[in-house]
Amino acid sequence: MAAEQAGLIAIGAGLAVGLAGIGAGLGEKDIGAAAVGAITEDASLFGKGMIFTVMPETIVIFGLVIAIMALFVL
Amino acid sequence: MFLPESMSRIMVVGTKSRMDDAINAFYSEKVIHVIDHTTGDDGLSIGTSKPEISKASERLLKIRGLEKELGIKTRTRTEDIAVEDVRERVNAGDVEGVEKEVMDAVDARNGLTQLISELNAKKETLGLLSRIPLTLDFYSGYKSISVTVGSVTSDPAALNLDAEIFASYDKKNGGVVAVFYRNADRDKVSAALAEIGFSEIQVPSYEPVSPSDEIVKIDEQLVKAAQDLDAAEEELMKLKAKHRAFLKGSDEELAIQVQKGSVPLRIAVGKYSYIMDAWVPTSKVETVKQHLEEKLGDDVHVEVMEERARDMEASESQEPRFQKVPTKQTNGKVAKEFEYVTSLVSRPKYQEIDPTVFIMIFLPLFFGIMVGDVGYAIPFIILGGYGLNKTKNKDWRAIGLVLFLGGIWAALFGALFYGEMLGMHFVGGHWEGGDWIWYHDNVAVGGTAVTWDWLLGNQFPEWFCNLIGHVNPEGTHVGVGKLEDVAFLLKLSVYIGVVHLFIGHMCGLYNKKMQHGFKHAFLEKGGIVLSFFGIIFLCFGLTDFMFNKADITSGLAFYALVIGIALLVVGTAINAKAEGALQAILGLPEHIGQILSYTRLAAIGMSKAGMALAFNYIVFSMIMSTATTGVMQDGVEVVSFDPFAAPVMLILGIAMFCFLHLVIWTLAILSAGIHSLRLQFVELMMRFFEGGGEEYLPLKEVRVKTFFKNKISNINEV
Repeated sequence: MAAEQAGLIAIGAGLAVGLAGIGAGLGEKDIGAAAVGAITEDASLFGKGMIFTVMPETIVIFGLVIAIMALFVL
Repeated sequence: MFLPESMSRIMVVGTKSRMDDAINAFYSEKVIHVIDHTTGDDGLSIGTSKPEISKASERLLKIRGLEKELGIKTRTRTEDIAVEDVRERVNAGDVEGVEKEVMDAVDARNGLTQLISELNAKKETLGLLSRIPLTLDFYSGYKSISVTVGSVTSDPAALNLDAEIFASYDKKNGGVVAVFYRNADRDKVSAALAEIGFSEIQVPSYEPVSPSDEIVKIDEQLVKAAQDLDAAEEELMKLKAKHRAFLKGSDEELAIQVQKGSVPLRIAVGKYSYIMDAWVPTSKVETVKQHLEEKLGDDVHVEVMEERARDMEASESQEPRFQKVPTKQTNGKVAKEFEYVTSLVSRPKYQEIDPTVFIMIFLPLFFGIMVGDVGYAIPFIILGGYGLNKTKNKDWRAIGLVLFLGGIWAALFGALFYGEMLGMHFVGGHWEGGDWIWYHDNVAVGGTAVTWDWLLGNQFPEWFCNLIGHVNPEGTHVGVGKLEDVAFLLKLSVYIGVVHLFIGHMCGLYNKKMQHGFKHAFLEKGGIVLSFFGIIFLCFGLTDFMFNKADITSGLAFYALVIGIALLVVGTAINAKAEGALQAILGLPEHIGQILSYTRLAAIGMSKAGMALAFNYIVFSMIMSTATTGVMQDGVEVVSFDPFAAPVMLILGIAMFCFLHLVIWTLAILSAGIHSLRLQFVELMMRFFEGGGEEYLPLKEVRVKTFFKNKISNINEV
C-alpha cells in the first residue's frame, strides 16, 4: 500500500471518529443538561435520563466502527 | 420467573368491634396489599384512626427528635430489644423521662457553647482595646466630651480633628482608634471616621483595669468553660449509650403502631362493620382466607372476588381503583438483586414480561465481552465480592453483583477466548510454511506484540495453549486478537445483537398477545418482526456480495436477498396498515441502527486493547531494558527481554505499568458498564417494555431492632 494511500485512510478514520464525536457531543450536551435537571427534581428518573442521554452515542460507535474498518479491514 | 405473580382480589368484611384484632391478623399474613377505599356510590366512608395513635405519633416525634440530638442514625449499631420491654417502658412514660434527661443535658451543652462564643467575642474586643494604652475606666464618665472607639481599615494618622486621638495601626492587622471629642463635634468626627473605614466596638466594661489583665481573666473562664463543655459532651455520649437501644426499639415499635392504627383510614368503615378490598397473590388466597377465618371466626367473611387475567380488557372493565394491579416480581435470589437495575427504568406492569432475568444474563455477559481480559477481571471479581459481602444497600449490591458476575465472564473470555492478560496475549507466534512457530522468548524489533511468555521467558504448557480460542482455520492458538481479528469480532457482535434483539422482539410479541390477543399482536408487532428478519437476510446477502465478492445471482447470497426482500415487503405492508406507509418505511433503517449498535461490544474492547497495546509497548520496549539477540526473523532482528540490566528503569517501568493499567481499568468500569447497561435499556427493553407498574406493598411489620420474647398471639380470642 502506498504511503499516501495509508495516510488518506488514516485521515478518513480520524474524521469518521472526530466528526461523529462532535455530533454526538452536541446532541448529548442538551439532553444531559436536561436529564440532570430532571433527576434533581425526581431521582427515580435516573434510568430514563440515562437512556435519553446515551441515545446519540450510537453515532460515535458507528464512526468508530467505520474508522476501525478503514484502518484494519480495507 | 418472567411474569409478575398472578394476583387475586379479595374482599374482607368484618365486625367493627374486632377491627383491631383483624388488623393484627392482616399484618401477620404479610401478603395483603390494601386497595385504598375511595368514598363513592356505596355510601361508605373511610374510618378514623384509633384514638391512642395520636399519643403514639406524638411520642414518635419526640423520639425522632431525641435521636437527632444524640446523633443516633439508621446505621448506628445498637443492641436488640424485646418488644414487651419497649411497650412496658413506653406505657410507663419512659419516653418523657428520657426526653427530660436528654434535653437537660442538651440545654447545658448549648448554654456552654453560647457562653464560649460570648467570651471569645469579648476577648476579641479586648484584644483590640489592648493596643491602646488606656485602662477601661478612661472610656466613660465625661460630661462635655464623648468617646468613640472602633477598628479602622486605613491609617488613622490621616485624621485631622480637633480632638484627643489614641491610635494604633499596622498594615497587616488594620488599626484601632479611640477618639475623645467635644460633644458639639459629633457630626464632624463621625464623617472623618467614616472615611478611614471605621466600625465601632462596644467597650465591655468600665472597670479601672487594663484590657490585657481582663484578657487573662477571660482566658481562665474560657478554659473552665471548655472543660465543662467536654464534660457535657461526655454526659451526652453516656446518655446516648444508655438510651440508644430503647430509642431505636421504641422508634420501630411506635412506627409500627402508628402504621397499624392508620389502616382504618384506608378502608371503608360503617357503623357496625368494615369492608376492605385487597390484592393477594393467587397462590396464597386460600391460606389467607383459612387463616383469617380461623383467627377471627364468625367475625369475618372473606370473599374471593376475582383472579385477575393478564389481558388489558380484564383490567379496563373494572372500576378505576381496581384497574391497576400491584406487581410482585417473581425472581430468584440472584435475579432479585437485578430488580434494582430494572427499576431504574420503571417497575414492570402486571400484564408484561419482567426483563430482570434477561438483564441478569446479558448485563454481565456484555460487560465480560467488552472487558475480556483476565488481568482486569480479577480486581473486578474481588471488588464485586467484597461489595456483596459488606454492603446491604441495594444500589451498591446491584453494582457489586454486576462487577462480580461481569468479572467472572471477563475472566472466562479473557482466558479462553481472547487469551489475554493486561492487554497482552499469553502466547505469541506465527504460521510459517505449514508449521506453527511459537514466539516463546523473543519479539521482533519494532514489533508491538508483547506477550507474557516473552516477558516471563518461559513456555506455557501445550495444553494451556490449546485451551485458548482461535479464529484462523490453521489453528493458531494465540486467542482472538482484539486488534487483529477485527472483522471477526465485528461480525460476532452483530450476531449477538441479532439474538438479543430477537429476544426483545419475541417478548414484545408475547406481551401484545397476552394483552390484546394474537390478531392485535400480529398487526402491531408482527410487521416489525418480519421486517427485522427481512433486514437481516438482506444485509447478509448484500455484505456477502460486497465484501466476499459472492455471486449475487445464485447461491446463498441470492437466496438471502430474495428471502430478505420478500420478508421486508410483507413486514412493511403489515406495518403500513397499522401505522401508515410513511411510518413503516421510515422505520426500516431503525433496524439496521439497532443491530449495528451492538458493534460497540467489539469497538469498546478494541479501544481498550489499543490503549493497553500502546502502554505495554512504552513500558516493556521503551522503558525497560531489552537486548538484541542477533537472530533474524522475517528480515528483522529478534530482541529478548532483559529487565535486570537496568534496575532503575525496571522500577520506573513497573510503576508506570501499574498506573497506566489502573487508568484503563477505571475506564473499563465506566465504558463497559454504561454501554452494557445501555444495550439492555435501549436496545432490549425498548422492544417490549412499557413499565409503570404499581409497587406491591403488603401489610407487614418490619422489625430489625425489636423481637418478641415469646411467640404470643396478639389477637384476642372471643
